[in-house]
Amino acid sequence: MSVAPATALVTGGASGIGAACVRALREQGLLVGVIDLADGAEADAFMQVDVRDAAAVAAAVTEIEGLIGPIDCLVTTAGYYREGSITELSVADWQDMLAVHVGGTTAAFRAVLPGMTSRGHGAICAIGSELGLCGDPFAPHYAAAKGAIHALVKSVAPEVASANVRVNVIAPGPTDTPLLRDDPNFASYSSTLPLGRIIQPDEIAAAVCFVLLEDTTLTGQVVSPNGGAVM
Amino acid sequence: MSKLRGIDGRLVLISGAGQGIGRATAERLASEGARVLVNDINPETAQIVADRIGGTAVPFDVSDAAAVDLALTRIEAEHGVVTLLVANHAYMTMAPFVDHSEFDFERHLTVNLIGTALLMQRCLPGMVESGYGRIVAMTSEWGVIGWPNATAYAASKGGIIALTKSVARAYAAKGIAANLVAPGTTDTPQLDVDAIDAGLTHEEMVAVYAAESPLGRINRPEDMAATIAFLLSEPAVALVGQVISPNGGTTRL
Repeated sequence: MSVAPATALVTGGASGIGAACVRALREQGLLVGVIDLADGAEADAFMQVDVRDAAAVAAAVTEIEGLIGPIDCLVTTAGYYREGSITELSVADWQDMLAVHVGGTTAAFRAVLPGMTSRGHGAICAIGSELGLCGDPFAPHYAAAKGAIHALVKSVAPEVASANVRVNVIAPGPTDTPLLRDDPNFASYSSTLPLGRIIQPDEIAAAVCFVLLEDTTLTGQVVSPNGGAVM
Repeated sequence: MSKLRGIDGRLVLISGAGQGIGRATAERLASEGARVLVNDINPETAQIVADRIGGTAVPFDVSDAAAVDLALTRIEAEHGVVTLLVANHAYMTMAPFVDHSEFDFERHLTVNLIGTALLMQRCLPGMVESGYGRIVAMTSEWGVIGWPNATAYAASKGGIIALTKSVARAYAAKGIAANLVAPGTTDTPQLDVDAIDAGLTHEEMVAVYAAESPLGRINRPEDMAATIAFLLSEPAVALVGQVISPNGGTTRL
């Protein structure tokens, strides 16, 4: 039933939560490959890829598997946050937000799942969001994209469960990353959370490691290290 | 995985640890280096588990406020402050709702819900003084989604969710994380209650539940122990009032 995972792939692993996941997984002894739009990931294999390009994602996974071996664990963190009201956001704004989050996550799932199911083991952790649960009046396209990731995971999990592949979401609350520090409301987040402070990336990474590396029956679930933002 | 952060050397109290999920949790936490206090209403099973893992048996009735206070006073004098608490004990019977006696219904609430509240009330002041605490309360998949013939049990487990979320909100900023685990059907002695209600043997009940699970296997006590261990770890402070559901994918909320 349990095969100790040896490798992981992290999309968006060059910065923020992704980089914290890469560090944590390497500390657990895994070989970690990264795909990211930006250069500069500290990983065992790296490919500069735009996750909106599904063919490029598939090619990068093949390349990385050649370097570190078949992918046992996948973490999808690639994404971005941008504000905009429902009346102001353009069709292009919506399409790009969905292409990166839903398209990019789906592309990574499709690239690794056939190998995982044929080997009979694997674990996937998609990064969703607290905002995918409760919505975001400042970024409806972001909230909708993250909510779609949650629904995607709940749909894929039962499909691949019989092949002993588990699929879950980690849905962080406000986390201390470059993505958040650019937010004009950064300072006000802490006071809104029962925890009284924002989340640290290594706390998200610890949750990701639990979901991926502990041999449990956790699948199709949304786990929320969100400081109590949504419960 | 390598050892979890924040468990080694800490004092943990686990209620209902003489069997099932509690026992597996005691074993897991002992392997993580925790000093384990094994509570059960049955002194013999508590002692057997404590002997096995090198822990301490602390048998008492969690639904008796005076007994809880006496036990914790003794524990604090002999072992120190309990900074990790696992409220795992449970009472369960099954019956059609309209036939369920008031007495037995109330017993579910007294043992499961009030017992969990009493443990939290008695342990929280020490955690506050330490500026550190982790609480895991065991609810149930049925406490989340409800279940026919398990109305009293489900109601008590649903109450534990609201209780723990409220405690989590009140104490998160003090460094105390309170969360819940909602197991799916798990292969423990309690499964006999399901089996009797369904007119099946324990093994037949396991097979039925395994077939209903997308993962194709029944949940093991160890699945829950691993989840509890994570929620007791240091970085799990980011989780406040959350319900984690290792259930093989049967319920996906």
